[in-house]
Amino acid sequence: MIRLVAGLLVAAVTLALPAVLDDSALAVYILLGLAAMVTVGVSLLMGYAGQVSLGQGAFYAIGAYTAALLALGGVPPVAGLVAAPVVAAASALVIGVPLLRLRGHHLAFATLAMQLILLSLAGQLEFTGGDIGLQAIPQFSVGSFEAGSASAYAYLTWAGVALVMLVTHNVIASRPGRALRALATSETAAASSGIPVGRYKLVVFALSAAFAGLAGGIYCFYTGYVAPGSFPVLISIQYIVMAVVGGLGTIWGAVVGATAITLLVQGLNSLAALPGMPSYAPSVLSYAVYALVLIGVVLFLPHGLLPAVAGRLSRKRESLRAR
Amino acid sequence: MSAFLTYLLNGLAVGCAIALIASGLVVIHRVTGVVNFAQGTFAVVAGLCMSSLLGMGLPHGLSEVAAVLVAALAGLLTGLAAIGRRGTTALSALIITLGVGVLAYAVEIVLWGDQPRSAPGLAGSVIVAGARIQTQHLLVIGVTAATFVLLALFFGRTYLGKALTACASNPYAARVVGIDTRLMGLLAFALGGLLGGLAGVLVTPLRPISFDTDVTLIVNGFAAAVFGALTRPVITLAGALLLGVAETMAAGYGYGSHQLEIALGLMIVVMIVQAGRRPAVTQEST
Amino acid sequence: MIDVKDLVVSYGTATALEHVTLTVGRGELVALLGPNGAGKSTLANTLAGLLTPASGTVSIGGRLALIPEGRQLFPDLTVADNLALGGWRSGQRDPSPVYDLLPRLAELAGRRAGVLSGGEQQMVAFGRAMMSRPEVLVVDELSLGLAPNVTADLAAHLAELNRSQGLTVLLIEQNARLAFELCRRAYVLESGRVVTEGDSAELAGDPRVASAYLGGAIT
Ligand SMILES: Nc1ncnc2c1ncn2[C@@H]1O[C@H](COP(=O)(O)OP(=O)(O)OP(=O)(O)O)[C@@H](O)[C@H]1O
Ligand SMILES: [Mg+2]
Repeated sequence: MIRLVAGLLVAAVTLALPAVLDDSALAVYILLGLAAMVTVGVSLLMGYAGQVSLGQGAFYAIGAYTAALLALGGVPPVAGLVAAPVVAAASALVIGVPLLRLRGHHLAFATLAMQLILLSLAGQLEFTGGDIGLQAIPQFSVGSFEAGSASAYAYLTWAGVALVMLVTHNVIASRPGRALRALATSETAAASSGIPVGRYKLVVFALSAAFAGLAGGIYCFYTGYVAPGSFPVLISIQYIVMAVVGGLGTIWGAVVGATAITLLVQGLNSLAALPGMPSYAPSVLSYAVYALVLIGVVLFLPHGLLPAVAGRLSRKRESLRAR
Repeated sequence: MSAFLTYLLNGLAVGCAIALIASGLVVIHRVTGVVNFAQGTFAVVAGLCMSSLLGMGLPHGLSEVAAVLVAALAGLLTGLAAIGRRGTTALSALIITLGVGVLAYAVEIVLWGDQPRSAPGLAGSVIVAGARIQTQHLLVIGVTAATFVLLALFFGRTYLGKALTACASNPYAARVVGIDTRLMGLLAFALGGLLGGLAGVLVTPLRPISFDTDVTLIVNGFAAAVFGALTRPVITLAGALLLGVAETMAAGYGYGSHQLEIALGLMIVVMIVQAGRRPAVTQEST
Repeated sequence: MIDVKDLVVSYGTATALEHVTLTVGRGELVALLGPNGAGKSTLANTLAGLLTPASGTVSIGGRLALIPEGRQLFPDLTVADNLALGGWRSGQRDPSPVYDLLPRLAELAGRRAGVLSGGEQQMVAFGRAMMSRPEVLVVDELSLGLAPNVTADLAAHLAELNRSQGLTVLLIEQNARLAFELCRRAYVLESGRVVTEGDSAELAGDPRVASAYLGGAIT
C-alpha cells in the first residue's frame, strides 16, 4: 500500500517537474534521466550477472552515433531512436559472444578496451566526423510533432526511464531472472544446477547495452551534436559509481544513485564556479567526489544506499510495532 | 635496415616500461587475487614527482629514488583501501582501485595541474650496428632487465619471497602455517607501486606524462599481463616486449594513429583464446 | 592442553558448532569422530585460530599446529620450501630435523609438492606441521584417501611422537577403528554438537557408535 502511494507520488512529481523547472534545471533533469537509464542496465549487469562493464559509455556512444547518422541521413527520428538501442544491443551480442567467456576483471578490461577502441575510431573515421563529430542533428519528431523545447525532451527521457524500469522489472520477476540471481552469487553453482549461464549473461549484457543505446539516442537529439569527447572513459566509471551507490541489482536504487550523484556533482559544480575558486576546481571536485563516494560505498555500504536506508527504516518500523 | 633496428630497440624500450607496469599487476594479482586498476597511476605519480624534484634542483638519482618510493607508498595506501578491510571480494577490490585511480586524478591536478610534464633523463645517443639509439632507451632496457632478475631472485630464493608465493599458491594453507596473508598482500601492493614507479621514472624523459596517462599505461600493462594469464612474469615480459615492438613498428611505418587499437585488439584476442582453452568454471579458482 | 567451553561458531547465519565443550589433556591422544558436515573441520580451524568464535572460549596451552583436511600444500613450491614455510611461526627454516623423523621427505626435497602422490603429500603436510615444533597437533582426517598401510605408517609416527616427546594429539577421523586403536578417549560430534564422549573401548562397544562408525569400515 505504502509502496503504491510512494510510487504514484514519485510518478506525479516526475511528470510535474518539467512544467516548473527552468531550462538550465531541465538540462540537469534530462541528463539525470539519461544517466538513470544507463545505470539501471549497469546495475542489472553487475547485480544479476555479476559482471563489471567499464565500457558502458561505448554503448551510449553507439546509440548516439546510430541515431545521429540515421537522422542526418534523412531517416525519420523515431526510426533512428528505435535503431539506437537495437544497434547497441546487436553490438553487445556480437562483442559479448567472445567477451563473455571472460570473467570479472577480464571482462572489465575488455569492455574498457572496447570503449577506447571505439572512441579512437570515431575520432579518426570520416563518416563519424572525426574529432569534431556530427553536428546539426535535426530535432526529434514524431509525425508532425517536433520536440522543440527542453520540457519535451524531459518527458521523452523520463518515458524512456519508465520503459527501462518496466522492462527490467519484468526481467527480474521472470523465471530466468530468478535463476540469474543465483548466477551473481556463484557461477559454478548456477552452471552445475543446469542454468544456461552463458546465454543469460549475454542477454543481460545486450539488455544493458540497449538501455545505454536508448539513452544515447535521446542524448543526440537533445544536444544536437555528438563527438568522441562526449563519451570519456570517466562516463563509464560514473555509471558504476551510480549503480554501486544505489545498490546493485535494485531498479529504484539505480535511479536513486543516479539522482544522488548527479545532484551532488551539480552542487559541487556551482560551488566550484564561485569567484575565487581555481580554474581546475570543477574537475578536481567531481573526480574527488566520484572516487570517495565509490570507495566509501564499496567499503562501508556494500549493498548500496537504498537497501541500507530501507533496511534501517523497516527495522525502525518493526521496533515501533513491537512497542 | 638501420631504421628497422632503431624501431626495434625503441620498441623494446617501450615494451620494457610496459613490462614493469605489468609485473606490478602480476605481483599484486598473484598474492591477493586483485587486479589493480591503479597500477598506471603509480607510474604517473612517480613521473610527476620526479619532474618536480628535479625542478626543485635535487640531483638525478636522488630524485628518481625518492619518486619511486613515493609510488611504493601510493601502492601501500591503495592496498590498504583495497584489501585492508576483511571480506572485500576481488571484484569489489578492483572497483576500489578504480576509485583510487580517479582520486589520484584530483590530487594530481591540484599538485601538478592538468598539462603534461616532462623531465630530463640521460642525454645523448649511441650508434649500435648502424642504428642511432637514445641513451635513455638503453637505460630503460638495462634497468628493466636488472629488475626482472632481482624479482626472480626475490621470489625464487628468499624466504619472504617464498612466503609471498605461498599466498598465491594456497592462501588457506598460508594462513594455516601462520602467514598473515593480508600483510603479505599489502607488501605486494607496495612492491607493485615500486614497480609502477620505476616505469614512470624511466618513461617520463621519453614521453611527457600527465594525470590521465594512466589509462594507456594500465591498458597496455594489463594486455601484457594477460599474456601470462596474470600470473607468469616471464611470459608477461615477452608479451610486453612484443606489444612495445608492435606498437613502435606500427608508429614507425606510418600507422601511428592506430597504436592503441593494435594493443587493445591484441589483448582481447589473447584473452579470448585463453578463455577458450580453459572452461570458465576452472578459472574461478585461479 | 586444549580447553574448549561452550563454543559457538557460525558461517554467516548458519551455525556450524553449537555449544561444544571438549578438553584434551597434556600428552593425551584424543579422537574426534563424526559424520560429514558435523563441524569437525570447523572445530579444527577454530583451534588453529583461522575462524573466530561467535561465543564461548578456546584456550590452548602450547604451540599448536594443524594438518588441515585435504593436505593443503603449496603445490607450486618444492617439498623443501613447503617444509621451510611450515617453520614460519617458530622461525625454524632448516628442515633437517623433519628429515630425521621422516627420511622419505629428504628424498623428495626437490620435487614440486603438487606432483606427489596422496600419501607423499600427507607426509609433507605432517612434516610441515612438525616444522613449527608443536606441543599440540590437530590432525584433520589423517586417513582421507590413503591406502591402509600408508595410514598405519603415519599413525605409528603419531603414536611414537606422543610417547617420546609427549606430543598432544587431537585426531579427527572418519575411520573409527583407527581412531579407537590410537586414542584412549574419543568425542563424537553430530550436527555441531557433542553427542557422546568417553573411553574408546566403551564407545567401540556402544551399539549406536558401532553401527554408525564401525559397521562399514574395512580393516
Ligand atoms: N566456508 C564455509 N561457509 C559456509 N558454510 C560452511 C563453510 N565451511 C563449512 N560449512 C558448513 O559448516 C558445516 C560443518 O562443516 P565442516 O567442514 O566443519 O564439517 P566436517 O565435519 O569437517 O565434514 P567432513 O567430514 O565432510 O569434512 C557444514 O554444514 C558445512 O556445510
Ligand atoms: Mg572436515
